[in-house]
Amino acid sequence: MSTQVDISRRRFLQHATLTGGGLIVGIPLMGLTGHAHASGQGSLTPNAILQITPQNAVHFYLPRSEMGQGVHTGLTTLLAEELDIPPAKISVHLTGPHEDFANPEFGMQITGGSTSIKGHFVPLRQLAANTRLVIRQAAAKQLNTALESIQTQDGQVFVQGKAFTYGDFVDVASTLDFPEDAPLKPASDFKYIGKYNQRLDAQAKSTGSAQFGLDVDFAGLQKAALKQSPVFGGTVKSFDDSVAKTMPGVKAIVAIHNGVAVVAEHYYQAKNALAKVDVQWQLPETLSAFSTHSLDANNGMGLFENALKKEGDNGHDEGDANAIQQADKVISAQYWAPYLAHATMEPMNCTVKIENGKVDVWVGSQSPGMAKNIAALFADVSKDDVTVHSTYLGGGFGRRSASDFVAQATAIAKASKLPVQLIWSREDDTQHDLYRPAALARFDIGLNKDGTITDWHVKRVGPNIMPYMIDETVDAMAPGFMPNAMVDWLSKRGYGLFDGWIVDPSSIEGLFEDYDSPNKQVNHVTVDPGLPMGFWRSVGHSFSGFFKESMMDEVAADQKQDAVAYRLKHLKNNPRLAKVLNEAAKQSGWGKPLAQGHFHGVATHMSFGSFVAQVAEVSIENNNIKVHKVTCVVDCGTAVNPDVIKAQMEGGIIYGLTAALYGEITLKDGMVEQTNFHNYPMLRMNESPEFDVIVMNNNEAPTGVGEPGLPPIAAAVANAIFAATGKRLRSLPLKLA
Amino acid sequence: MLRFNLNGQPVEVDAPDDTPLLWVVRDHLKLKGSKFGCGMGLCGACSMLVDGQSTRTCILPAASVANKNVTTIEGIGNPELLSAVQQAWVDSSVPQCGYCQSGQIVSATALLTRNPNPSNRDIDNAMSGNICRCGTYPRIKAAIKQAASAIQNGQGKLQAVQYFEPTQSATEA
Repeated sequence: MSTQVDISRRRFLQHATLTGGGLIVGIPLMGLTGHAHASGQGSLTPNAILQITPQNAVHFYLPRSEMGQGVHTGLTTLLAEELDIPPAKISVHLTGPHEDFANPEFGMQITGGSTSIKGHFVPLRQLAANTRLVIRQAAAKQLNTALESIQTQDGQVFVQGKAFTYGDFVDVASTLDFPEDAPLKPASDFKYIGKYNQRLDAQAKSTGSAQFGLDVDFAGLQKAALKQSPVFGGTVKSFDDSVAKTMPGVKAIVAIHNGVAVVAEHYYQAKNALAKVDVQWQLPETLSAFSTHSLDANNGMGLFENALKKEGDNGHDEGDANAIQQADKVISAQYWAPYLAHATMEPMNCTVKIENGKVDVWVGSQSPGMAKNIAALFADVSKDDVTVHSTYLGGGFGRRSASDFVAQATAIAKASKLPVQLIWSREDDTQHDLYRPAALARFDIGLNKDGTITDWHVKRVGPNIMPYMIDETVDAMAPGFMPNAMVDWLSKRGYGLFDGWIVDPSSIEGLFEDYDSPNKQVNHVTVDPGLPMGFWRSVGHSFSGFFKESMMDEVAADQKQDAVAYRLKHLKNNPRLAKVLNEAAKQSGWGKPLAQGHFHGVATHMSFGSFVAQVAEVSIENNNIKVHKVTCVVDCGTAVNPDVIKAQMEGGIIYGLTAALYGEITLKDGMVEQTNFHNYPMLRMNESPEFDVIVMNNNEAPTGVGEPGLPPIAAAVANAIFAATGKRLRSLPLKLA
Repeated sequence: MLRFNLNGQPVEVDAPDDTPLLWVVRDHLKLKGSKFGCGMGLCGACSMLVDGQSTRTCILPAASVANKNVTTIEGIGNPELLSAVQQAWVDSSVPQCGYCQSGQIVSATALLTRNPNPSNRDIDNAMSGNICRCGTYPRIKAAIKQAASAIQNGQGKLQAVQYFEPTQSATEA
């Protein structure tokens, strides 16, 4: 699973001209590019990773996006460990795209998939170790002494008891051959990894001084509000702006590819004027005909139910598919999870300035490289003429891996010939998301006479994410020499590819992997009314964790076996999952009496390489579900910042609880019905449970934590509801009345 | 012309009376710490203290704060001079994405102003108007308690960068 980047024999040292000068080192994290790190004098758009100035300032140009998950702290900790410089003494800078900043896990500059610590664990430490060695070598040369006599400690260089700074040696270091394979510390010597728990961005984010995309401002910047097609894929037929264009502050009203924008001096002026723009739409046929509540057999749930009758495409085939006919007993059940919006706290926004053929984009993005390409496409300039300035992300959760709002902001700036900041309203954000796919699944679980699972059959029905991602990617990433017609043709292949050809892995992940069963069959039927799909925190695991862990609970209950013991019996080939489950049972007091009216439910799930078990303590009053406490145990290998891991578990669980208890996006005639937090509610402080999060300590390679906390929680709660009421809730959100 | 006190300083803004206070502060006065989240007073990202009360400013006509004291996150403390609540936020590593935290800190500051020793239930009641999508609620709760005890022990102030009587309006001051 883990992609260890081979970082030997690569060019590390770069004599770029960053502001401040000094020793500047960069690694192409993928090791694929041969391009020099060019950077303009005085420019702070760096494309090296690490800079140490003669004045001993240490700058780290963060190659991943900070959206709350903690890379700012985590990656700095990795660097600090091998540099031997305290993390708080390193200045961390958010960076724009550069080909050398590609995520080692993807080959593109994307932050997602819980990969940042996993992917950078070796490359960043190696870069730092090499840097520390070259500083020591420079000190040895400069002071004419043996390398062995030169030590570093807490950001200082010590030579025979005398203290120097790293900066004292950067000039000489820049003249030396850069080491390639300085030895890395053994885990037993770690000073920060496993121990460093202070979030480095906490102060900026507690004083209102952290800059998000929406906070970007400069003289002459105009604000834009956009009316988008109420049904995805619609276009503007005509519009009447006769009233709007006379309103205060209005500078321009322009039609773009999927809407009409008002550009004004202030946001509220743009918003007020936009309300007076009357737009006639050309709406797409298929999606406009789709309503989730429709009782028609060929619409809404009927579409999904009908598809379940089809055989579908095989996504996983293990053992004998026909063996289930010999099973002693088959237990079957059907599960449903609805569409979901991301609802990041910061609505989508993007700032674009086009001047003399050069495009500047300010955006909080999980894929700044894609943002750059999209801006080039919509401004009709070369990619080299686009500069992306990264900001903090006011929540990502997968939503900001797409660049639809970058395309719009660029199109508005181009059409209006004004520098603009496009600001989506909360209603825009809720109704124009790339949604978590809805999913229907049917399990048929075969048991032998002992009640052991012998056949694990599951079929999933629903839309796939990959076609939508391919669509955006191909348009933006296709090389310039490719004719437009070919790009267009290619971009339409995404849909066909996953309809009968191959199964999108994210559509079935997590449905079948965890438990032992000699025979496993996973089939998939694509149903896609055309609502755009995107990565939503934990992706396919966000529904499959609920499905699989509820189903396992049903089987255990049918067999009148303890839910923990029955799971453990089927985890012989999954020892790390068994271990977290055991630990969660122990920590939560599983099987021991609880307060009157309180019940436990358990779930365990592996995703993104990490193993998580959760026990939820739940009570029911007047059909209201109250989650009192969640015990969570996670094994994510080497724990780099244990407290950040805890925070990600808490956050993943709360995000998952919102989905479990409230989350549902519905459509009427292709239009999303939810608009704002009153009809798409979020878990609030008074509903937040108490937490007991345990981070297992081991020396395995580190794996992700941004997403794996989410998948088990809905099932843990649903299983507790079953314990409390005997009712098996098979649809999300969980409702008793 | 709108006139009010912003973080202890009198300000004048030429904007229509019904302009939401949030946009007057963000767009006209260029203080960006208060955030836009929902535009309906549902999420609390835009919270400011208006005469000491945590107030949703995305739906508050600016004219309604005429001659009143408005305090934003920037008026509570800054990176060089943290308030007790901000210090507790840093110590407990509360923020994740951080977008909602200005509003959270404003609401927590208002709570501790009128209730120096809040119970869990008091915190739930005072803070449930502020949504955090990253799920920092358990840390917010812990940090509020830490700040309460720090203030009681004479360590830190609710407002680190200025002082005014929140019950006293600007005209009386």
